[in-house]
Amino acid sequence: MIENPPKFFLRFFRWYCHPKLVDHIEGDLIEVYRQRMKKSGRRKADVKFIIDVLLLFRPSIVKPIEGYRNLNHYGMLKSYFKIGWRNILRHKVYSFINIGGLTIGMAVALLIGLWSNDELSIDSFHKNSDRLYTVYETILSDGRLDASFSTPGLLAQELKLSIPDVQYACSYWMKSQSTFGVADKVFKMDGASAGEDFFKIFSFTLLQGTLENALTDPNSIAISRKMAESFFGNADGAIGKSIRYENSRDLMVSAVFEDIPENSSLKFEFLTTWKLRIEEVDWLKDWINRSPYTLIQLQPHSDPVQVEAKIKDFIRPYLGGKYGDGNHLELGLLPFNEMYLHATFSNGKPSGGRIEYVWLFGAVAVFTLLIACINFMNLSTAGSIKRSREIGVRKVVGAVRSALTGQFLIEAILLAFLAMLISLTLVALFLPSFNSLTEKQIILPISNIKFWMICIGLLLVTGLIAGSYPSFYLSSLNSIKVLKGPQKFSSRAAWFRKGLVVFQFALSIIMMSGALTISRQTKYLQTKSLGYDRENLIYLPFQGDLARKYQVFKQEVSQLPGVQAVTRATQRPSDIGSHVYDLDWDGKDPNVHVVSIHGAVDYDYFKMMKLQLAQGRIFSKEMDTPSPDDRTGEVVVINETLLKIIGYKDPIGRTINSFGTKQRIVGVVKDFHLRSLHEPIEPLILYFMNWQRWGNILIKTESGKTQEALAGIEKVFKQLEPKFLFSYGFVDEEYQKLYESEKIVAKLADSFTILAIFISCLGLFGLSMFTAEQRTKEIGIRKTLGASIAHILSMLSVDFVSLILLAIILAMPLAYFIMQNWLSAYAYHVDIEWLSFAIPTAIIIVIALLTISFQLAKAALANPVSSLKSD
Amino acid sequence: MLNKEAYGVSIKDEIEARLERDVSMGAMHASLIRLEDKGYIKSSNGEATEERAGRPRRYFEITALGKKAIAYSKSTRDQLWNAIPKVVLEIISNG
Repeated sequence: MIENPPKFFLRFFRWYCHPKLVDHIEGDLIEVYRQRMKKSGRRKADVKFIIDVLLLFRPSIVKPIEGYRNLNHYGMLKSYFKIGWRNILRHKVYSFINIGGLTIGMAVALLIGLWSNDELSIDSFHKNSDRLYTVYETILSDGRLDASFSTPGLLAQELKLSIPDVQYACSYWMKSQSTFGVADKVFKMDGASAGEDFFKIFSFTLLQGTLENALTDPNSIAISRKMAESFFGNADGAIGKSIRYENSRDLMVSAVFEDIPENSSLKFEFLTTWKLRIEEVDWLKDWINRSPYTLIQLQPHSDPVQVEAKIKDFIRPYLGGKYGDGNHLELGLLPFNEMYLHATFSNGKPSGGRIEYVWLFGAVAVFTLLIACINFMNLSTAGSIKRSREIGVRKVVGAVRSALTGQFLIEAILLAFLAMLISLTLVALFLPSFNSLTEKQIILPISNIKFWMICIGLLLVTGLIAGSYPSFYLSSLNSIKVLKGPQKFSSRAAWFRKGLVVFQFALSIIMMSGALTISRQTKYLQTKSLGYDRENLIYLPFQGDLARKYQVFKQEVSQLPGVQAVTRATQRPSDIGSHVYDLDWDGKDPNVHVVSIHGAVDYDYFKMMKLQLAQGRIFSKEMDTPSPDDRTGEVVVINETLLKIIGYKDPIGRTINSFGTKQRIVGVVKDFHLRSLHEPIEPLILYFMNWQRWGNILIKTESGKTQEALAGIEKVFKQLEPKFLFSYGFVDEEYQKLYESEKIVAKLADSFTILAIFISCLGLFGLSMFTAEQRTKEIGIRKTLGASIAHILSMLSVDFVSLILLAIILAMPLAYFIMQNWLSAYAYHVDIEWLSFAIPTAIIIVIALLTISFQLAKAALANPVSSLKSD
Repeated sequence: MLNKEAYGVSIKDEIEARLERDVSMGAMHASLIRLEDKGYIKSSNGEATEERAGRPRRYFEITALGKKAIAYSKSTRDQLWNAIPKVVLEIISNG
């Protein structure tokens, strides 16, 4: 049409104009435009129109940038919050149950989250974390594939020289506590030794000293800030000072590093150089013995898979055919930051470890939160009858379904928000005791934005899950029916609620029987008879010249009151872990490789440990000569497991070959547990030698006189080695330490289970209260018609009990499967017996009955007059 | 003057005719919006006509508050006017 104004400007006007004004102002514009066109022609009208449009572009006419409809939503949201808040205050008990349950659920989730985060953060702080790898070695022994992080002491250096992909490499090996002295200050410190590249590979901060020179000179030592402060007063002045090491040589402080952070799995107060360690321990120079970690950093663009393929058969040539062909040895790579969590091997591949606990507790957190959410779903759908009028009125007035859904979701989120506030307070309150339980130093990361984001996320997710079903259910109610009066639930909704209760209790039962099995297994580990007597057994590591003065020490200590016996052994009984790789015997199948554990003991070891002999005799002072140096000697005692592998019919007097020499078997001991019960009993060789350098003195005390004996032993020690600090340990405690993580897990599992059951019962309490309220009239009528209280009680509780029974039936196979799986990680474990299910079942039924009976009894006892008169 | 017939274009025409000056659409609508916000005038939608390409008219009407305000405004101005000595005005007109 010719009569229309310029389109572009008209559109522009429509675009910017406030929607309330656009119609009539546009009308005005068009009317004026047409008048003008008639009066003065099209062109002038066009120009004037454009000027008008441009002049209309002013604040009062342009629409607001943020949109103009917000106000309505804001008002509605405000009302949702207000109504939600009033509902919380109005139904105090239900709100308490809901908020209480959600609070505990969230607190558990937060604590577990903090714990897992701490576990996962271990070793992740190194700058080149993605290029750091630990070399592990798989060993084929007696047809079984085994693996460990123990590697030969020369491996690191050789890898770096021969494989260009390896940028840096170093060996790392813990030391037993060492004694240091500066002037008259003497302390014992825990530490390790490491190769030159150590500080280049790992991001430990150097306060003093350089990356290049920290661990180069054999006579140098790197010490922590704490150690520097205890010897020299401050960290700055320590460098270049000398420090007396094991009262045998002076080391110069070449570097001071910041104290090792909590989230490092490598922990040390000092590092001596690898060169020094090789001087101290000469078997580190060969390829037969292994113990240190080999840690490497790859070149920036190297592919770990290719590197792994390259180093697979790396060790073989170095063995030189001398100790078997090495076919049974292979190397593999594990990312260094996974070493802490994935330290268990199965079939020679890393396959788990602590990461399983992270998963286990992650599941516990989710379960607990889910149980709390189910409470909320149940109570709010059950309570919907109370609010059905409100829903009906809202619908009649014009609320669309989505608005109602939104309303109930917002209420759920409001509750979740309150629960989050309380649970954060609880977490802050209980974190210290949680830390002492788990032996961690977790702090609440208040200044970390990510933490708050996660909290908000948790809040929203909890609110949405908890509010999802109620909001969809409630918003679907038919307004006409609802307004007519209270209505019965549809059977589908009732079934859904029952299903939720079953699910909730099934989870509780699984957790409970899980916790029960874990604590039974833990107790079993701690008390199982190991085949030797570990009570009242003290060990004293050799220090200074004690090994050479052993006979004097033994003579004096034996005469002390409270001391029963004294002997010596290379390793503590709970941790015999050195391997012999070149074992050979008459008639051995050349394709079979057997790796055996070995240790050296004195002749009176067997008697003191109460080890039982199967055949032959133990070492004898008169008949056998102990090997004078650290060699293997002429005679050995083996265990039954090894005998079974070797297969000698008549083993006494026959010979075996190990470490390149021949030994005669004089006796066979019955199997006893050498290491943790995770592992089956391994073949064992015990040598008889008069070694000089390392090992432990074992002292058996009379029970109850340990303190007295220790005082005497210390006096003797001080006379012989005045420059060293007296230190000792209890074998039993060492043994208990092997199961530290099991103990923590058992404790955690117990407390979380109790909380989960508590939340479930809270929900049951709320539901029973609700049922009692719902059925007051029915109960009243039944009573007037002559029903007894017992009859009414059983009628009311039968519903709940049948749900719980169903939950038990569903939970049992699942719990059995999960527990079986967990226990299979132990070579020695308790069996799952019917008690593991009977006890939780009984407890749950009793607790559930107690919970509901209170409410139901109240309803049953009420006078029917009061419930019936209201109609 | 306009009574019950006051809408955008008619107001504009009226001002232009009586005061003999051009009024831009923007200035006028902005003033109208301001007056309405203050509560001096109220508005209602009117009929849509062919000449306006189907857009409705919006009629404006004075409110009681508006009447009061305009009366007050007139009286203050009258007062001021009356306060001016006749002499001053004569000098001006003579000059």
